[in-house]
Amino acid sequence: MTDQVSVQETDAGQQVEQPSAQGNIVEVRDLHTYFYTDLGVARALNGVTYNIPREKVLGIVGESGCGKSVTALSIMNLVQPPGKIVSGEVVLHRVGAKGANTEVVLTDLGRHSTQMRRIRGNEIAMIFQEPMTSLNPVYTIGDQISEAFILHQGVNKDEARRRSILILDRVGMPYADTVVDQYPHQLSGGMRQRAMIALGLSCAPSLLIADEPTTALDVTTEAQILDVMRGLQSDIGMSIMFITHDLGVIAQMADEVVVMYLGRVAEQAPVDSIFYDPLHPYTRALLRSIPHVGEGTKERLKPIRGVVPNPYSNISGCPFHPRCDEFMPDVCDVNVPGITMTEDGRAVRCFLYSDRVEKNG
Amino acid sequence: MASYIVRRLGYMLITLVFVTVVGFFIIELPPGSYLEFHIQSLRQQGGDVTPDQIAALERRYGLGDPVHVRFYKWISGFPRGDFGQSFQHQRPVGELIWSRLGYTLLISVLTLIISWGIAIVVGVYSATHRYTIPDYLITVLQFIGLAIPNFLLALVMMIVLQQTFGMRVGVLYSREFRDAPFSIAKLLDLASNLWVPIVILGVAGTAWTSRVMRANLLDVLNMQYVQTARAKGVYEPKVIWKHAVRNALHPLVMTLGLALPGIISGEVIVSTVLNLPTSGPLFFQALIQQDMYLAGTFLVFFAVALLIGNLLADIMLAWLDPRITYR
Amino acid sequence: MTDITVEKIAAEAGEEISTVGEIPQSKLIWMRFSRNKLALVGGVGLIIMYIIVALGPFIASNHFRNQNQDYLYGPPTPVTFRGADGRLGLRPYTYEYITRLDQESFKFVFDFDRDTRLPLEFFVRGDEYELLGFIESNVHLVGVQGEQRFYPLGTDALGRDVFARLLVGGQVSLTVGLVGVALTIILGSVMGTISGYFGGAVDDVMQRVIELILSFPTVPLWAALAAALPPISRSFTAIHRFFLITVILSLVNWTGLARQLRGKVMGYAESDFVMAALAVGASDARIIFVHMMPNASSHIIVVAALAIPGMILGETALSFLGLGILPPAVSWGSMLTQAQAVPVVIEHPWLMTPGIAVVLAVLFYSFLGDALRDAADPYSI
Ligand SMILES: Nc1ncnc2c1ncn2[C@@H]1O[C@H](COP(=O)(O)OP(=O)(O)OP(=O)(O)O)[C@@H](O)[C@H]1O
Ligand code: SF4
Ligand SMILES: [Mg+2]
Repeated sequence: MTDQVSVQETDAGQQVEQPSAQGNIVEVRDLHTYFYTDLGVARALNGVTYNIPREKVLGIVGESGCGKSVTALSIMNLVQPPGKIVSGEVVLHRVGAKGANTEVVLTDLGRHSTQMRRIRGNEIAMIFQEPMTSLNPVYTIGDQISEAFILHQGVNKDEARRRSILILDRVGMPYADTVVDQYPHQLSGGMRQRAMIALGLSCAPSLLIADEPTTALDVTTEAQILDVMRGLQSDIGMSIMFITHDLGVIAQMADEVVVMYLGRVAEQAPVDSIFYDPLHPYTRALLRSIPHVGEGTKERLKPIRGVVPNPYSNISGCPFHPRCDEFMPDVCDVNVPGITMTEDGRAVRCFLYSDRVEKNG
Repeated sequence: MASYIVRRLGYMLITLVFVTVVGFFIIELPPGSYLEFHIQSLRQQGGDVTPDQIAALERRYGLGDPVHVRFYKWISGFPRGDFGQSFQHQRPVGELIWSRLGYTLLISVLTLIISWGIAIVVGVYSATHRYTIPDYLITVLQFIGLAIPNFLLALVMMIVLQQTFGMRVGVLYSREFRDAPFSIAKLLDLASNLWVPIVILGVAGTAWTSRVMRANLLDVLNMQYVQTARAKGVYEPKVIWKHAVRNALHPLVMTLGLALPGIISGEVIVSTVLNLPTSGPLFFQALIQQDMYLAGTFLVFFAVALLIGNLLADIMLAWLDPRITYR
Repeated sequence: MTDITVEKIAAEAGEEISTVGEIPQSKLIWMRFSRNKLALVGGVGLIIMYIIVALGPFIASNHFRNQNQDYLYGPPTPVTFRGADGRLGLRPYTYEYITRLDQESFKFVFDFDRDTRLPLEFFVRGDEYELLGFIESNVHLVGVQGEQRFYPLGTDALGRDVFARLLVGGQVSLTVGLVGVALTIILGSVMGTISGYFGGAVDDVMQRVIELILSFPTVPLWAALAAALPPISRSFTAIHRFFLITVILSLVNWTGLARQLRGKVMGYAESDFVMAALAVGASDARIIFVHMMPNASSHIIVVAALAIPGMILGETALSFLGLGILPPAVSWGSMLTQAQAVPVVIEHPWLMTPGIAVVLAVLFYSFLGDALRDAADPYSI
């Protein structure tokens, strides 16, 4: 498969303002994904740029509809019509046998191409938002996990089944050798999500994308699932891109955080910096609106004022400016802020930190 | 599973009893006694009917009896294969209907299988090629296929085949095979004649089924598990056929119970137009002549065929969908 | 673990995320429906059809029962816009024909005399007719003065104007669907609502009855019931027969609507608005007719629209088989009985025109029904 994969040299010269490519498994560069519906064009992703660090957990937060799931699908090259990746690229960094680093531009591969299919489920796996519907109701759990083994590891049915039981066991599925022959409807929500995680981890991917894997579960089950994921992450040494809108989960899981707002990244920073030294006004507003653990303030929580604009609208300037406390007239509503890199390697899109302007905003 | 089927069979038997009641009700429905009709036609043929003969006929058909006794007489003959007498043909109904019912079922079942085969492929194609020109073309054909009454299609087909190919429509076997014993050649001859009613009958069914299939598949393609399969790296055609189509078939099989009556109805009309030796011509003739035991028995057997078809559909559904419990 | 989510924050702030939910359901349905182009084609097509059919006796040049013994199986009379001087004009002409017996085939042949032009005129006086049941007149939209008659679609075996019969037959065929659907709605909603609302034994009986009806194939059942209708006489007129045929058609059709409504009503029984109505002591009838029916109305309309084509096709099939509309009444199906023999159709193809009319009417209704269904419930079949 090597000959057809487009391999590029890292183009450091042009990407000065980009976060460092060192130690990233995936880089998302200026990604635009639009949905062409009869209500108009929904700009679900409108220039998204961030990095997924290798062997770390990247948390992605943002309000509902800000484009978290679409980013995940765009990385997997699974955006279905009427959606389309319009521009930008997703680059996968492979570490070869002798430490040689090759790049694969996923957005250049066809949606149904062989190369893309060999990456999906093998190098990059994904767990979806709803455990109740993400397993096929007419096949057994074992059949569905086996399919990945047969596809990517070329083993026969019996061996695939054996490996399925092992991986189910590993994600803490009780009675794995019974469950393997059961249908999804026979399992509880938590068990289904474990089965999904088992499916995602089956081929030991280097990146696992988990799209709100615990949102539909109760608190106890959520805690168990998060434990399993964190444990496996350090065992296998994979990266996880963890999508959630629960800041508590972020604090517990993530090493680094991307804050998204209306199809753009507001800020990317290590988890501690996000919680104790947020740069972007949106991040600050988000944090002000939750009670700070341990501080015990009697202060009222401050909701973010204004409404989330819908993705069909075209806001001039900074997409956050109608709700921003630091709004600077004639600056913020005229141009779209570009990405600013701070000295400690954080990325933020706001005119408070530089007057860098997005070229084609 | 076995107990589920047994219970379904039990329900079926109860329905069957009511079906025969309806059948008998229809037999009794036409105004005037069929015996009068019969005597009249005997007289018209020049025969003289003596009061003795009339009395004998009345006794034979129990016309003097109250309704429930007559009903009992009629259905108690069923196990012996005695469904009453056809006045028009002067023969027991049982002798007349079997081969005709057999051909009706053969044509209906073949049509069902073939039209479903085509409809599933067409439905999958148009669902996966939504808003393309072939999809629009298929939609247009589906609308037209559903709008043409099948007897009209039968007329048009007859004309076209006769005018352009000189084909003789309206027979199941060519002359040389009609009384020949069973052989491969005879079977081939049957096939060469049978395709005409099957095509005529299949058009509406295929149009309808493929539309249902398209809609079902579009629903299923929005399901998360289809994305899961893609995210696993499954080849797209396999995503469609293995993961999506199997689920889309489920509501389709549920409509089988609705499709069967349509096909049998269609067969009865089309074979009447084509004058095929199946149930249709005999049934409508019996109705027009008020030969009611013959017509009523046909009706009961159509219902039996449907009940069996529904049972098979339910069993198939249970097999297709593991979520169905055999309560 | 803190259980604070961005959604919760937004909710606490009382923010609205979207306004789509505020558009009333009926308006949304209308928006989606009016965007559908096929619905427009279907709607306009049907309106035109109904108008033409209603004005049929006036539009056609002859009375539909008028038999022309000199023009049996006569072909459509040709029309030309070329005047006697051979130049094209605005005035339409037809030719005079001469009937002659072909000595070899012993059939009547009609020779058109291409030199004798008869002008086609508007508002010509001809056969007496009654329009819409109360206007009596003898003025026809187009026609020829004098002895000869104008047959745009030829004549049938008895020398009757096929075009006139097509229009008058359309009155029957196009009304069957409407009347039948009205009956279907009444029967189906009453039965379905009762079944769903009261449940229990009532529901059980109703479900078994429906199952029983559905265990017969439709056309044979219709035919058997139609065969039991008395022959047309003074006391049992063609109108009676027409009405009973529609009753028979809807006798099978109501089951579908009843089943769907039953499900809906069962769902409503637990809904807030019914609970509230019960709490203030509303009567069963009030709950059914004031609270449930309006909620199910879009559903009823869709089911009804989708049922009309089936009714039209049913009437056509029955009449075609000689079990539906009988003479002296005429419908598209009964006209097609004349086209049963292949040699007849091959020699007189115009006898098939009612078939085209049926297909058009059914197509238009399906366009409309489909668009309504997509608009009311875009996620179902
Ligand atoms: N299939 C689609 N058709 C049309 N628009 C879509 C589609 N999928 C996503 N979008 C648009 O993209 C935007 C982002 O959607 P996305 O699913 O990524 O949100 P999200 O951040 O994952 O939200 P949530 O937290 O609710 O999962 C939505 O506002 C929606 O308008
Ligand atoms: S660019 Fe201006 S409006 Fe946008 S977040 Fe920064 S300060 Fe607020
Ligand atoms: Mg999402």
